[in-house]
Amino acid sequence: MLRRMKLAESHVIPDGDEGNILVYVNPDERERRYLAETLKLDEHTLASALDPDELARLEFEPDHVAIISKRPQNYSSAEEFMFRVSSMGLFLFADRLIVVLFEDVPLFKGRQYANVSSLKELMLKILFSSVLHFTEHLKVINAVSDALEAQINASMQNKYLLNLFSLEKSLVYYLNAINSNGKVMERIKNSAGKLGLTVENIEFLDDLMIENQQCYEQAEIYSNILASMMDARVSIVNNNLNWLIKTLTLITLGIMLPTLVVSIFSMNVKFPGMDHPLMFWIVLTLAAASALLVRFVWWWKKW
Amino acid sequence: MVNHALTRQVKILNPAGLHARPSLAVAQIVRSSQSKVQIRTPWKTTIDAADVLQLLSLGASQGTELTLSATGPDAEQVLDALAQRFADQFDL
Repeated sequence: MLRRMKLAESHVIPDGDEGNILVYVNPDERERRYLAETLKLDEHTLASALDPDELARLEFEPDHVAIISKRPQNYSSAEEFMFRVSSMGLFLFADRLIVVLFEDVPLFKGRQYANVSSLKELMLKILFSSVLHFTEHLKVINAVSDALEAQINASMQNKYLLNLFSLEKSLVYYLNAINSNGKVMERIKNSAGKLGLTVENIEFLDDLMIENQQCYEQAEIYSNILASMMDARVSIVNNNLNWLIKTLTLITLGIMLPTLVVSIFSMNVKFPGMDHPLMFWIVLTLAAASALLVRFVWWWKKW
Repeated sequence: MVNHALTRQVKILNPAGLHARPSLAVAQIVRSSQSKVQIRTPWKTTIDAADVLQLLSLGASQGTELTLSATGPDAEQVLDALAQRFADQFDL
């Protein structure tokens, strides 16, 4: 799917015919051929833009610059709290910018697009929106982690632990992706002259690198907390299960002893006092007393 | 003080549905209020709107109409705030 946009009065607006900002979302075979043959994008780089496992990188081609960067993938409920990353390709020509995405994302929404003066600035702002997207997803991961923790405190199931493992794995993907984006930003800064970035562009890039570093550190903190608390959480689930078994054992013993008393008096043999008029009540009292005895021993031993 | 539940119909306009960021936004709005808010889907699932786990597991896609129902002292305000966020696509 192709969306054409253009820069007009410092804003990115849709322009169906003439727009020089081309956004390709999961391009089909015909669109890929057009990108490779007509617009001369390297086929391998184009494939990298759609491959979620590809690392971020910067490549200089004869008539354009290709940037492969990472961004968070849209969360799907089928993923069971697994947050994944996807790749994005930015191909900057002198007169146009081509963006290749694996899935549709609201790319030009947000305050950062309120004042865009050039395609180079737009390219940097798209990278900035990826950093913001990561930061917001980290907040979601933190909220999910807190909610799962609350569930684990009262749970005896592995389900919530497995969800936490998914979150831990997601954070490793995020750390790798954010770090990889950081390397690309460094390379862009080192190649500022070759890319023709203005002083304002470089200042913005510096801010972007700081934001990315903060995002990385935040992801690292969440990842460390999750990893270090995992053993404790496993123990809590085990402990909850032990408590349940203990309660069930108490109930079993409380029933078993009175059953034994009643069973003894139910034997089909003669026993002393069997003709006593209050014998039924005596047996019931003995059964109740045996149940109380279990409770007393439980309390006395502090089990 | 509203003792009975107030309801409001909202439609998910975001192309990616009620995904991670909108779910957190909904949970934060509800948690910052003093009302209890529930969300009912067309497939009759009812969830607590303050619980981000339930929101993320809802799997509501673009175009799904949800029924918000709120009980509490600021039920009207929280429903207005939620309806506004759904209408502006959570600024995403």
